[in-house]
Amino acid sequence: MANSEDDDREMKARLERLSSALDAKRNEPQARDGGADDASRVNAGRAMSLGFRVLSEFVAGIIVGCLMGWQLDVWFSTSPVFLIAFLALGTAAGFWNVYRIAAAPTSGGGSGRSSGSGQ
Amino acid sequence: MAAENAIDPIHQFNIVPFFSDHVGTATFTNASLFMVIVVAAVSFLMIVGTSSQSLVPGRLQSAAEMAYEFVASTVRGSAGHEGMRFFPFVFSLFMFVLFSNLIGLVPYTFTVTSQIIVTFAFAALVIGVVIVYGLMRHGSHFLHLFVPSGVSPILMPFIVLIEVISFISRPISLSVRLFANMLAGHITLKVFGGFVTLMLGAGALTAVASILPLAAIVLLTAFELLVAVLQAYVFAILTCVYLNDAIHPGH
Repeated sequence: MANSEDDDREMKARLERLSSALDAKRNEPQARDGGADDASRVNAGRAMSLGFRVLSEFVAGIIVGCLMGWQLDVWFSTSPVFLIAFLALGTAAGFWNVYRIAAAPTSGGGSGRSSGSGQ
Repeated sequence: MAAENAIDPIHQFNIVPFFSDHVGTATFTNASLFMVIVVAAVSFLMIVGTSSQSLVPGRLQSAAEMAYEFVASTVRGSAGHEGMRFFPFVFSLFMFVLFSNLIGLVPYTFTVTSQIIVTFAFAALVIGVVIVYGLMRHGSHFLHLFVPSGVSPILMPFIVLIEVISFISRPISLSVRLFANMLAGHITLKVFGGFVTLMLGAGALTAVASILPLAAIVLLTAFELLVAVLQAYVFAILTCVYLNDAIHPGH
């Protein structure tokens, strides 16, 4: 039936249009990098989660340093010595954590450290 | 008595035992119930979603395939192809965290990930796997993770200490981040909900103005949805990054 052939051709044309539109959509975000409202909202969420990640890693370093120093003081009964020393070391560890996040090749919300997608 | 009627934003995090009057070692609580619900929901999605295997996927199959491809590309991206042996582990963690975050957003439910002991157990599990696998695979070479090359011997003890502290801080930051995000989001929602009821009861003028916190709840719920998904993603990707250290120590 000619009708079904027409339908076939139409369907093929529609599929082609769809796939070219999809390709265009896929290439779009890299070109303009979050111009749309939706993308910018997701980017804001990603930036917030990255910020929270930096904060928590920094604070965790200091807290772990403090706890280690405090416990060592309890063991050796040398009250503030180890606490002070490990507070400094913990702060350094916190900065080191933050540096590692910042130095990662791609850091959008914390995507991979050694991924090949860091163009 | 009066305190019972007051709006208590922390009330939602109470652990309630079901079959006994106190919480013991193996009591079935509301937390356990929602863990069971989360596992059932994930199993339902994956088992029913992958059962038909049609070429043009339906909704469930599409969701299941998207979840698989998303986690698989995350694992490949940050832990390499060798990281794929940890794919079941990362996938289970990601789906459990994602579903408990999302199910917790439904009113009257309990958020499993808002309990720090749950998130800390996950983080300890991740770090445990990293240490055990690293030592099994590389032996003492795994300890090179703490000894970067090209550091002068005078500075070395300090650097090693800093690296050890940095390593120990990982499970803490991993668990506290997820727990704090969930806790803060749910408390904020409850506080704004409390504003609405208080303002409705306080007079005609404030009752009209109570539309503002109500609108804020709608926006916050949308935002919490984003946070729920993002935190599950961050948890999964950091798991991959730490596993990458176990697979390739010494950078």
